[in-house]
Amino acid sequence: MTRIKQGSIQKKEPRSVIRVYPQGLRESVISFPNNTMNQQQATIESERCLQCYDSPCTVACPTHIDIPTFIGMIRSGNVIGAAEVVKTSNALANTCGKICPEEIFCQSVCTRAKQDSPIQIRELHFYATQMESRKGFSRLKVFSTIDGAVAVIGAGPAGLSCAFELTKLGHKVDVYEKDGIGGVPRNSIPSFRLANDELESDTNFLSRFFKTRKEDVNARLFEEIRHHHKAIFLAVGLGVDRPIGIPGERLKGVLPVLQFLHKAKIQPSVLSIGDRVVIIGGGNVSLDAAATAKRLGAESVVLIYRRSESEMRVWKSELNEARRQGVEIRFLTNPVAIVGKSEISGVMCRHTRLSKEKDESGRRVPVELKGSDFVIDADTVIVAIGQSVEAEWLEGFERTENGYVKVNKNFHTSVSGVFAGGDMVAGEGTIVQAVANGKQAAHTIHEHVSKKLR
Amino acid sequence: MDKIKEPSMYSTRDLSYDFLGIHFENPFILAAAPSTDNLDMVRRAFRAGWAGAILKTTSVEGTKVDLCYPMMSSFDHEGRKLFGMGNIDLISEHHIDKVEYNVRMLKKEFPHKMVAASIMAGRKEDWQSLVERLEKTGVDMIECSFSCPQGNIGEDPGKMLAQSISATELTARWVKEATKKIPISIKITPHVTDIVEVARAVKRSGCDALTASNSIQALMGIDIRSFAPNPNLGGKSTYSGMTGPAIKPITLRTIAEIARNVDISILGTGGASNWSDAVEFMAVGAGVVEFCTVVMHYGFRVITDLKSGMSHYLDEMRFSSPKDIVRKALPNLAMHDELPRRTVRSHIDKKLCIGCEVCYIACQDGGHMAIDRGSNRIPDVDQEKCVGCGLCQHVCPVDSCIGMQVAA
Repeated sequence: MTRIKQGSIQKKEPRSVIRVYPQGLRESVISFPNNTMNQQQATIESERCLQCYDSPCTVACPTHIDIPTFIGMIRSGNVIGAAEVVKTSNALANTCGKICPEEIFCQSVCTRAKQDSPIQIRELHFYATQMESRKGFSRLKVFSTIDGAVAVIGAGPAGLSCAFELTKLGHKVDVYEKDGIGGVPRNSIPSFRLANDELESDTNFLSRFFKTRKEDVNARLFEEIRHHHKAIFLAVGLGVDRPIGIPGERLKGVLPVLQFLHKAKIQPSVLSIGDRVVIIGGGNVSLDAAATAKRLGAESVVLIYRRSESEMRVWKSELNEARRQGVEIRFLTNPVAIVGKSEISGVMCRHTRLSKEKDESGRRVPVELKGSDFVIDADTVIVAIGQSVEAEWLEGFERTENGYVKVNKNFHTSVSGVFAGGDMVAGEGTIVQAVANGKQAAHTIHEHVSKKLR
Repeated sequence: MDKIKEPSMYSTRDLSYDFLGIHFENPFILAAAPSTDNLDMVRRAFRAGWAGAILKTTSVEGTKVDLCYPMMSSFDHEGRKLFGMGNIDLISEHHIDKVEYNVRMLKKEFPHKMVAASIMAGRKEDWQSLVERLEKTGVDMIECSFSCPQGNIGEDPGKMLAQSISATELTARWVKEATKKIPISIKITPHVTDIVEVARAVKRSGCDALTASNSIQALMGIDIRSFAPNPNLGGKSTYSGMTGPAIKPITLRTIAEIARNVDISILGTGGASNWSDAVEFMAVGAGVVEFCTVVMHYGFRVITDLKSGMSHYLDEMRFSSPKDIVRKALPNLAMHDELPRRTVRSHIDKKLCIGCEVCYIACQDGGHMAIDRGSNRIPDVDQEKCVGCGLCQHVCPVDSCIGMQVAA
């Protein structure tokens, strides 16, 4: 139907002129930042979806979003309905729509890929949630209420997801978080990957459903929380950078990666990293740090990793992006010391080779090659070799071999009534896995609390 | 088994309203077709959320249903599957006893759903006995097929009942006479010289509604190597009844033309595939909308989007009920000589233009040679030559790039 066009272009024209478009003025002229699809692109892409039965994308998504249904809704122009479908399964919908590594989840199994190329599922998901945050959140139904409250400690992806799911199940929820809510996406995912307002679209939506208490949990407070709640869900993540344990670690100019990423996000202007930056570590966080250092103006950014490319546990898209930005990646290189007087001047490295022996992760063990030492000059060294979970009030909890908090299949820790999920039980994972953890844990917590009430 | 879905956390909007004295949970019902010929299929459809179903057309005892296979064919338009769907299907093979049983079971299990039967016959006594038998089962409505495009049962083979004004009126009268209280709808064909005359005949007969309209008689395609038409039955074929997105504009016109001229309820069907199509059907006068092809393509699950899309549309438009949509567009339909005569010119948004120059070619070879190549492949509209025909904006691949500018 022809409709008289309204909107932005009209403003510039004299009032006596109107323009008529075949579909009305479609929202394609509204361009989102960060290359989000526009309405026309989303319609065309959604038209490609085969709507297959028992869709593998839905199975592959850790939060099991009903992907064919939401894509069908984008196709019919029901974009708010599409956003509702996404959010029903994934509480951190907008964040996941932006940064979820689709190449290892939904898109990797898309049936359409067998015909030509996979549907750009994440892009369509993000289009829907962006449109919803622009148009206003849909009204939720009234959830039932159950006596007694549940506490969630840590307001990252797992904590938020669990808190929201518990709300849906009828629980009052108190969330304890020492910083602002958002966890890893807020503190350490670089803003070029996830802008603040993209995360806030989720946190603003979610924070209405529970009480947030800005408190740093200690042993005394933890006991108090236990006393006042029917159950507790722990999701404090991995807050502490692991020390590398080589000489020179305490020199000025050595930065643990989480500190570095956090500073780069909140006050990049005071962060002086010099021209030459070396990143130690071969994970996704290291790649984030390398790309961030480049963006902060470092001339040379070298990432060193003791194994080879095939052992790297990173998303290919991020590795390629880092390379595209000019990050130099040196494989089979192990740091042996950080050199310098009061400030650092470089990293002493040693070449490695991979032995036939495999470690518990199934990857070949690197062996240092004698006499291959060399120094890479550096003004800043960023240590990104992993993080651990440390807190005095967690002392009574059983741990896994890797030092994470041990839980059973119901996310129950060794302490009765205390559940845990997210990175603190599994190590560094994806946002979507943490969201899925939180959601699943909410259901076992619900069962646990309901049993108590009966 | 259908997949288990997470329960929705959103408040759902009431889409229910009354039409023809029947309560509809929402405006979406299943048309008489293979999807409604089996009790389990209709059960699944109802559980999925469909408001009602018209069971596949049945006839009198002893009528042999002489089917042949394959019966389906597709009009694939440049890569899009089932842009139009053809069938050479006939009525249900189920005996009338079976249809009566299905109605009874469905009304018992789903008392709040609309269950209708569709019938077709030749002789007066056959029409009337079908109505009498079905009404006793508790059926909510009866739809009479006056327009099956192939294998019609009637005195004039090859011709549809609804193509004769007098036969339509007479037969509709027989049906209405035999009915005690349920509404009767006559399913008509757009293959007539004047649809309004047919609608008036139905109105005169006393029947309650029209179902507009049946499939479009079509030849679905020819294999250009073997010269076998589609669907290919050993090299031979016949004309199909075509449905699906391709026929939507034809149905829209049919519904609108009836609604503008005859005061009678309309069940819209023929080419609606989503909620916005349904809104369009209702805006030109349909009270509810029947679906078939989209369900045969994608399954009963499409009801989820139909309901969700309709709910959000009603919210956006601040309508209180789907009924508010009905006839909304009719005041805007006019005769050609009543349309405004204004100065219209094409306007290309140079910021949105991607430089394909498709509009240039179209205007050169199909318009008024009013688009110049401009510079850097961004075309210019010659304001002197442009008459405002609008061709350019329909060939433009970019949404909202070319607008027709009108001096208000």
